[in-house]
Order: sequence, then C-alpha cells, then structure tokens
Amino acid sequence: MSLWVDKYRPTSLAKLDYHKEQANHLKSLVQCGDFPHLLVYGPSGAGKKTRIMCLLRELYGAGVEKLRIEHQSIVAPSKKKIEINAIASNYHLEVNPSDAGNSDRVVIQELIKTVAQSQQIQSSTQREFKVVLLTEVDRLTKDAQHVLRRTMEKYMGTCRLILCCNSTSKVISPIRSRCLAVRVPLPSTEEVCSVMMSVCKKEGLILPPELAKRIAEKSGRNLRKALLMCEACRVQQYPFSADQDIPETDWEVYLRETANAIVNQQSPQRLLEVRARLYELLTHCIPAEIIMKGLVCELLSNCDGHLKPEVAQMAAYYEHRLQLGSKAIYHLEAFVAKFMTIYKQFMEDGLDNFMF
Amino acid sequence: MTRMYIQHTNILRENLSRAEFCILSKQLRKSIKAFKNKIKLRMDEYDEMYGIEDDFEQQFADELEVMAEMDPFPGESPRIGKVSEFRNRKHTFEEALTSADSALTRPDTAAAPEREDDESLTPKAKKRKQDVAKKLHFHEDEDGGEIIPPSSPEEHQRSERTRSGFSLSLSPDRPVAAGTLSVLDISGLEVLQESPKRATTPRHALKRPPASGDFITVTDCTGNRVYLRKNHEQDQQTPDPRFFRNTQNALGLLTVPIEVLREQVSERRHRQLVEESQRLTELLNSGVDPELLVGEVTENTEDENVKACDESSASRLWVDRFAPQHYMELLSDDFTNRCLLKWLKLWDWVVFGRERKPCPPTAESRANSTGAQNQHQNQRFKTKSQITEEILEAELDQYKRPKLKVALLSGPPGLGKTTLAHIIAKHAGYNVVEINASDDRSAELFQKRIDMATQMKSVLGADEKPNCLIIDEIDGAPAAAISVLLATLNRKDSREGGDSTSNPLKKKKKKESVLLRPIICICNDLYTPALRPLRQQAFLLTFPPTQQSRLTQRLAEITRQQGMKADTGSLMALCEKTDNDIRACINTLQFLHGRGRRQLDQRVVNSMSIGLKDQNKGLFSVWQEIFQLPRIKRKRIGGDPFGVFEEAGLKDGSQRLQHIVHLASSSGEHEKLTQGLYDNFLSMKLKDPSLTGVCSGLDWLCFSDLVNECVFHGQNYSLMRYLPFLPAAFHHLFAANSVPRISYPNSHYEGLTKTQHTKNAVVAMLAEIPPSIRSRVCQNNLCLDVLSLLLELICPKLRPVNPQLYSMREKQQLCELIDTMINYNLTYRQERTAEGQYTYVLEPNIEDVVRFPGVPPRRQLTYQVKQLIARETELERMRRVERAQQKRNPQTETVEEVKEVKKPQAKKQTSRNHHQRLENIVKQTVVESKPETDFFGRAVAPKEKPSAHSATDEDGRPGGSRIGKAVGNSDVWFRFNEGVSNAVRRNVYIRELL
Repeated sequence: MSLWVDKYRPTSLAKLDYHKEQANHLKSLVQCGDFPHLLVYGPSGAGKKTRIMCLLRELYGAGVEKLRIEHQSIVAPSKKKIEINAIASNYHLEVNPSDAGNSDRVVIQELIKTVAQSQQIQSSTQREFKVVLLTEVDRLTKDAQHVLRRTMEKYMGTCRLILCCNSTSKVISPIRSRCLAVRVPLPSTEEVCSVMMSVCKKEGLILPPELAKRIAEKSGRNLRKALLMCEACRVQQYPFSADQDIPETDWEVYLRETANAIVNQQSPQRLLEVRARLYELLTHCIPAEIIMKGLVCELLSNCDGHLKPEVAQMAAYYEHRLQLGSKAIYHLEAFVAKFMTIYKQFMEDGLDNFMF
Repeated sequence: MTRMYIQHTNILRENLSRAEFCILSKQLRKSIKAFKNKIKLRMDEYDEMYGIEDDFEQQFADELEVMAEMDPFPGESPRIGKVSEFRNRKHTFEEALTSADSALTRPDTAAAPEREDDESLTPKAKKRKQDVAKKLHFHEDEDGGEIIPPSSPEEHQRSERTRSGFSLSLSPDRPVAAGTLSVLDISGLEVLQESPKRATTPRHALKRPPASGDFITVTDCTGNRVYLRKNHEQDQQTPDPRFFRNTQNALGLLTVPIEVLREQVSERRHRQLVEESQRLTELLNSGVDPELLVGEVTENTEDENVKACDESSASRLWVDRFAPQHYMELLSDDFTNRCLLKWLKLWDWVVFGRERKPCPPTAESRANSTGAQNQHQNQRFKTKSQITEEILEAELDQYKRPKLKVALLSGPPGLGKTTLAHIIAKHAGYNVVEINASDDRSAELFQKRIDMATQMKSVLGADEKPNCLIIDEIDGAPAAAISVLLATLNRKDSREGGDSTSNPLKKKKKKESVLLRPIICICNDLYTPALRPLRQQAFLLTFPPTQQSRLTQRLAEITRQQGMKADTGSLMALCEKTDNDIRACINTLQFLHGRGRRQLDQRVVNSMSIGLKDQNKGLFSVWQEIFQLPRIKRKRIGGDPFGVFEEAGLKDGSQRLQHIVHLASSSGEHEKLTQGLYDNFLSMKLKDPSLTGVCSGLDWLCFSDLVNECVFHGQNYSLMRYLPFLPAAFHHLFAANSVPRISYPNSHYEGLTKTQHTKNAVVAMLAEIPPSIRSRVCQNNLCLDVLSLLLELICPKLRPVNPQLYSMREKQQLCELIDTMINYNLTYRQERTAEGQYTYVLEPNIEDVVRFPGVPPRRQLTYQVKQLIARETELERMRRVERAQQKRNPQTETVEEVKEVKKPQAKKQTSRNHHQRLENIVKQTVVESKPETDFFGRAVAPKEKPSAHSATDEDGRPGGSRIGKAVGNSDVWFRFNEGVSNAVRRNVYIRELL
C-alpha cells in the first residue's frame, strides 16, 4: 500500500474523517444486523466506496477485507461469451456490470441471480445474506436496470444490493424507490485540508496550510485527487514550500488550452483545430460530459457577465442532446460553434458600441 | 399421314443425298408466322399432292428432333413419334360408321383399314379430307424448299422459325375443332378445290404452358417461346406398326405404283420448296418485321387466340422487341463493338480452322472487320485504344488462340453489353450459350457448364455452329466460380500439351469436339475483388456511355413506330435523365405508352420521376455534388431556348433539393455520407462571418445523430426517411461554385482505434492490480484522476548514482516507488528505438493514455534510473512470487524454521561485513521488511518497524546502525568475491542470500 490514498484509507466507520454524523447513521443502520438495499451516490472522490467498505466491515468483520478476484464468464443467450471480473470476499461480491457494455443485462441476470439464489450455509456465524456491490450503476443500460428491479425484490432474503453511482439522474426511479439513498457529498475544503495534514503528519512530513488549501482547491475537493497531488508535490519537492507548483492532470491543462483557443479566435479554421483537440480528449477516455463541463467552466470564466446565462443555457441544451445521442463529437462541436457565434456577436456589438 | 411421312422419309433417304436430308430436318424449325402465311397462300394448290404425307409429318415431327442428322430407321421412327394420332383415330372411327368401304382404323383393332388408307385413294376420303391437313402438308413443303440454299446464319434462323411453325400445326387442339369434318387424309394426289373453313384452324402453339397434360417448349430465334401439347403415346404407337405392314404389302390398287407416285411427289415438292424458299428469303430480306408476321398469324386464328396473342405481344417488353438484330443496328460505341468482334475473330483459326465446311458468316464478318480496320487506320485513336488494337493484332499462341482468352466487358447497366455480346457472337457464326446470375453458379456447377459449353456441341439442333460462352453478370459470381473459370483457362494449356504426346484417347476426343471456344464475360463493376485475377488475363473492354444523339434517334424511331408523338428535345431530356441508359429510356417510353400517353413533351419528362434510376454513385461524387452548385451549362442541355430561365429557377429551388435528397437516399451509405460531410464542411469556403451557417450545419448533424440513435436503438425505422435531408441541408448551407476538395473521412475511425488503444492499455493495467486497490479504482477514475498524477509519482528525483550510495531517505523513496509500481502493475521494459538506442518504456504504456500533444512533456527519468528501477521491480516481483509459493505449500516445520533462522542471520551478516559494497542487498532487506510483517512472524516485524521509525526520526542516515544492530545477533556471514575464478561453482539462490 504505497500510495497515500491507499495507505491511509480508513477501514472502519469510526475512523472516518468527515461526515461523521452520516457515519454514525450508517453504524446504527447496520447495528441490528440487517439493512435495506442501499443506493450510495455522490461525486467522484467523496469517499463512497470507502464508506461502503467500512459498512461491510462493520457488518461482517475483518473478513471482508480478504479480497480476491474472480473471473466470471457468462454465456449470453446469443451465445456471446462475456468475461467479467468480480472482486469478492467470502461475504460480498463487487461487480461493475457496465464493463460488459451492452450485455450488462445478462451479467445482472446471471451473475447476481446465482449469488442471490444460493443460501448461506452457516447462518449462525454469518449473516443470512450476502452483499452484492454494483458500481457505476448510472452507466447501466435501461434494460439492465429493469432487470435489476425485480431481482432486488425477489431475492431480498438472501442478498442485499448496494448500488454505487455518481448521479441518481440516470438511475430509473423504480430502483431509486427500492433503495435507501445515501448521498456522500464532497468534503469541504477544510476537511480535505485536515485529512491531508493528518496524512502528512503520519508520513512525518510538514505540510504548510497554505499549500494544503491550494491543493484542496485545485483538486476540486476530490479527496483522492488531493492526496495524489499532495504526494506528487512531495515527490517534486520536499520540504514543501507554500507557493510550489502543484502538478495537474494533463487533460485539464489540455482542456483549458482548448477553451482559450475558442475564446481567442472564432473561425471555421479554429473550429477545425478545436475539433481535433476534442477528438484527442475523447480518445484519451475522457467522458464527453466531463469535457463539456470543463469547457463550460473555462468558457464562463472567460466571458462577459451578460453572456453567462446564455452560455450556460446552451451548454445545458447541448449536453442534454449529447446524452440522447451517440456521437459526442457532434454535440461538443455544435456547442463550441454556438459559443463562437454568440461570443463573436457580442464582441462585435461591443466594438460597435465603443466606436459610436 | 404420319405413316406416309415415314415412307416419304424412306424415299427421301433414297433420293436425296444425306446432306440434303439433314438440311431438310433443319428446315422443320421454321417460324410459325412464316409457315402460316404460306398456308394461306398456297393451301389450294398443294393440298392434293402432299395430303398423303401430312399425317406422317405430324406423327413424325418430334422424332425429327431426335433423328436430326442421323439416318432415320424405318422400323424405329413410327414408334418414336410422339404426336398423337388422336385426330386420325377419331376420324377413321367416324368414317367407319358412315361408310362401309373402309374399315375402322381403331388403334386397338385391325390393321386392315390402314392399308386402305394408304394405298387406295377413295373419293370418300377425298371429300372428308380437311384443309387442316393440307396446311400441315404445306409446311413440310416449304421446309423442303428452303433447305436447299446454303446455310448462312440468317437461314438458320429462318429454318428455326419454320420449324416452330410446323410444330404448331401438330398440336392436338385441331382435331377437336376440325371434329366431324376431317377424316383420314388418304387421298394423296387428289386436288381439293374448295378450301372450306379455313378459319377453323385452332391455336396449337400456346403462349403459356397448358393447364393439363404434357407439353413441349419450343423457342425460336427471336426468343419467343411457345408450348405444344403432347398427346398420349399409346395413341401414336399403335397405328405405326400397322402402317408399316401396309406399306410393304401393297395391294396394287393403284395404276401407278406408289413408289413412282412418291417420286413424282417428291420431285414436285422439291421444286416447290425451292420456289418457296426463294420467296421467303426475299420476304425476309425486304426487312419485314417479324411483328407483322405475328400480326397476320393472329388474324388467322380464332377470336380466343387473337386475344391471347394480342396480350402476349403487348406484354412483351419494348426493350426486347426493339433489340438490335444485326451488327449494324447496335447503338453502343463503334470502337468497342469492333474491338470485340476482332477479338472474336481471332478465334477463327481454332474454331473454324478444321471445320468441314467453310462458314459463310465468318467470311462475311471478316469482310466487315477488315472494313473496320481500314476505318480505324484512317482515324487516330487515343493511346488506350491503341493498346487495345495492339492486343488484337498480337500473335496467336501455340494453339492458335489469341493471347487473352477471355473478353471482359464492363460498364454501367443499360449500355447494351449483353446485346452486343450476343449479336457479335451470332455475327461471327457462333451459337450463344449464356450463363447469368439467374443460374446456379457454385463452383462445381459452373465448371460443368463451362465444360459443356466449351467442349461439346449440339448434335441434335442441326446447327453445327460452335458455341460461344457468354458469362453475364460475372461480378456477382462467387470467387470460387471465377477461380474455376481461370483454372479452365490455364488448365487447358497444360492438358492439351500433355495430351498431344501421351494420351491418344483424349486426343481423339479433342479432335472431335474442338476444345477451345471463346468466352465473353460481362460485368458492371470491373473492380470487384473477386474479378481481380480475371482482370489480368482478360481482354478488357470498357463501355463508354452511349452517344446521346444515336440513342435519341433510336428512340425517335421507336416512338414513331408505336404511334407516339415525341420531339427530339424531350427525347434528349429523357436520355439525359437516365444518363443515356438505353434500357431505362425504352422502358420509360413503354410505361408512358402503356398508360395511354401518346404525346411526350419536355414537361412530362421533367416532372416524371419514373425514369430515374436508382443509381449508385460513388461517395466522392455524391459529396462533390452536395458541396458544389450545379453549373448553368448543365441546366441548359435539353431545354428549349425559351424555357431556360424558368427551368433554371426551378433547379435553384425545390428541384435542387429533390435532387440531393434523391442522391442521398439512393447512395444508401448514410453513415459514411454524414461522416464525409462532417469532416469536410469546415474546409469549404464559408461565406458567413458570424458562423451561423456552421451552427445550423452542426445542429443538423446533432439532429441526425439523434434520429440515428432512435432508429438503431429504438428500432424505429420509420424515422430513417428523414436522414437524407441532412445532405440536402448541407447542400443548401455550404454548396459553392468552386470545385470542392474532398478528403476521405477517417477521423471517426482514427478516433475509434485510438480510443481502443487507450482502453486496452488501461484494461491491461487494471488486470493485475491487486484486489484491495482494484476495488477502489475503476477505469474512469484512473483516466481522470489517478494516472496522470501517478506518472508524476513514479518519477522521483533520484540521483543518477549507484544505489548503494543513496542515503537512507533515498533508499526508502526507491522502495516506495517500486512498491507503487508493482501495486499498479507497472514496469519498465527495454526497447530498441529505430535509431538503435535502447530506452525503457512503461509497460503497459499508460504514458500514451495520459499524454496530450502540445502539453509540455513531463520530466523523464534518466536511462540509468529506469534501468535500476526495472531491475529492482523485477527482483521484488520474484521475491513476492516465491513468497507466495512458500505460503501456499509450506515445507515441514523444521526446514521452515531453520530457514527462518538462517535467513535473517545471513542478511545481517552480509550487511555488517559488506555494508558498503553490498548496498543493494541491504536495500532489499529493507524493502522486504515492510510487506513481510505477516510472513516473518511477529518476532521480526515489530522490532524492525519502530527502529525504522526511530531511524528516520533521528537523522538522515541511520541505516547503518540499524542494520548493524539487527545483524549483530547472527554468527553466519557470507562473502562473495567477484572475479575469483578458482572458487567452487555452485548454484546460489536469492533466498539463500536473504
């Protein structure tokens, strides 16, 4: 466990650093030895998985930390063979069904049913149910989600589901209504700072509070990112100085440059360049929503206050279409083109007003 | 009559030379129309003379086919005759009832009446005889007459026609209609003055297969097919033997012996035939359309038949009706025609060289070709055509064949490729055998058919013309079939060579049926992958588009003939609309004709959407048309002078839109089309400075993406009809006058491959990450947060010196680094660059995943450091694997213990004594100490940890003292002198050193 993120991850509910009240709630939830299906959601880096694992440990004891990887191969009705990796302990099974792409429905049907249908043998020492942890539920297809809703009810006796996702908006409401929703919000800047400070203290390093604050802000309160940044800082330079460079992820830099390029010039040629850059981002597995969001943030910070509502509205419009469609590049580019038009118009108007 | 015919044939055998007889049998295949014509004309005269033979002819007709060129055996022939005697039988029966003289000729009963029939020409019989019989007779006469002139291809056709005419008369309907009137036609020589009820001749040739009963199909040279009904064989067979007996045992009732009579008859007949044939040839040469003949035939027949015939002629496609019959009528490019003909002529040596009799058509066409040659010498051709000429003038190979044994015609549909091939083959004196897409073209069947066509020849049909194989629509044939064809081409060479020396049997066979025949292949797309091998061995002929003027002229002729009014302008417009597709033009005309339109003008042509072909243009041309405004010049073609402006206006508006929509919907590859538009539209010359056009273009793209999504994920295919409007919108937005420069769209594909590459790297990395970490990272997180920073993390500032010289802190840093790398399944792999330098790259190469072009490159470790890390990582991995194995199958307690004792001791020893030199090993112990807490047991782990902590806490380099302390407890130490050669060699394992 070499990375700080891994090394200093809390393993029990009591040791959680923030949202302590929620941790207490969770503790009391499982105290009776049973709990309903959970839908844990929250932005990336807020500590959802950590909380879930703490919960399981609370429930089953240290045994849940003995993990192994199970390679499952499932044959779909169409004779297609689906290979999927599940992380399992004796008490739970963690699957990311969206790894199977469009065949995720089959994964849910087969894998979860087999787990759910098997009864625990020694119910005296163990719980009566196993836990199936499904990650990235928001990336499941609608089909798979519909499969899930029946499974959830039918095998309530032998299995509990914990669904983990970033946003509930893509989870169909029947599933939402069957689960107890637990929102894990991002830690505040102060909380991120304090976590970093404590980690550095355990490492025997001295972290200047200014730097901690800067890191926390730069990471967007994503704790995972913050810790990695902090560690990267340490690799770059130690002892820390308050104003040292904080390493950034490359794609963010690239995206920022793209946004600047858009603001600097509005022409078809520039649009072609931007298209190339957008393609580049997409091919590096950066999700289109994230690109859109990053772009909008950068663009908003660059444009006049009058334009902001319009730009934001456009962004929402195009992002909605992006979700509906399949070719992200069209929608991203359409947004960029639209922004260019508005921006250009605005600038020209401004120039006219200035001149007359 | 049948019987008589057989006798007649006997006589013929005697009288006529063998050759003549063959020709005679050929003549039987003459067209219905000509035949019937003649019936009308000559009925009266010939009745008496040939009446006797009528029946024979009838009965014998089918047998003729079988007999063909062979000598008919008198004994056999009557039995074989398939056409029924039904009518005969009936009549004889009636006759028997009515008259006492003649006995009944029941098939089952006595043979006596037969005798009477044959030999005694009774007046009664004469009276009863019917004109039908005479007609029948008649045909035969004609046939005989026509035979005599030398056989040219045209005459073959004619003979075919007559033959079919003949078979018409055989059909069994007639007896029913003729009914009571007709009796056995006994009176051979008597003349019948009256020609009563001529109109009663029923239809014997059916345009459709009869509903019940057997039938024979007969096809004449023009492709018309008629069906002849068969009667039961029993009927025919029975009378035959009787007949024979009769002929042999003549009763002598005649004053002149029957033989003499027959000779006279045949002589006269001969004369008549000669006359008749002359007349016929005149008729044909004068260019009377076969249609006219058909018309006359229909007039003759009864109402019912008239109707049927009318229908059939109306249902016939004009394309067929007005298909060219001669070389001179061809519409296709002269040069192409000539080239193909010349190529075919190159085969003459092989095909006709050993022919028994010289083929007149060959000479004729030779004359033609020389004429063409002269013409060509006067003209100047392009280089490509010169090449073609050279091929044609090249020498024959050792088998006297042309170098290229296959001609491959290619060109878009409707240019007349198939017609050309057929006509030229016929023109050069070949018998056409066609294989097209409607036939089964699996490899075996294909082979069989090729062999059949090239190595055999028809024996029955009496045309001795060699076959010419035409493989139509070869671009649709499976690759296997084409390789069969190629094999046939090449195999022949070797086999022939081998045969001539070794296998006399086969050689003989070869002599009999000439082995080598020309093959003409026809395709639309010359560049079909399957055709690639064939292309190299074939004489390629690409069809240029038909000349509009010629096509228009032909269309004008057709319209005139059909009574339609059409001016040249509108016909030209039609040609333009169909891209000079002959077939489409004629079909459109027929369609309009069929709908009752007798007038064709410009407006009709323009407003009509039926003439439009569902043409498949290349993607590039589609893109080009979308991005380019139509030229004014193009609009003016075919437009009348005053209508130009009006038309131009139309074209600018809805018509242009319609055109693009049509183009897009017919192209079919919407995905590609859209992608091409997307990739290219920004490089067009865009007029609007405010980018609104671009915006709406992109909005269209988004829209079509949504529609696509709906169509393919929701299976809502009704929405597909909206897809072609995207190109139309793009045309509206971005079309310009200048010629667009279009590049093939590959951005999407490139993007896909790159994404796949990235994903593969990430997945490969994820695969080996231990589960405890694996559960916390997923692909998304890795790409977004972790990887980029991880790359920073694994590049610590390490001094490029020997690791033994590292300070304690540095060593620890190295350990952590290695641990991280192993945990995240990373390692360095040595690679040789193209310049020959060695570098270390990350494996899996997540740098590709993270790196963006244009972003300042991150700091890289030096080669030495990477090497060091690679080695250490490798060592650490080995250690871990070994440990895991030990854990899994633990040895006996004692051994384990001993080892456990020994190992730390060894470690400590080495480190104490060789602290400076064996820095590396020391470091390893440190590395191991961390993860080994559970393995080494509680004794070691707690001790070391606090010490390490304290060490780091105290000062910069506490390592020595710490190790010294730990090592001090042991008695064993180990020393290895590098470079000493007199040492005892033995295997030393790492674990023994640790």
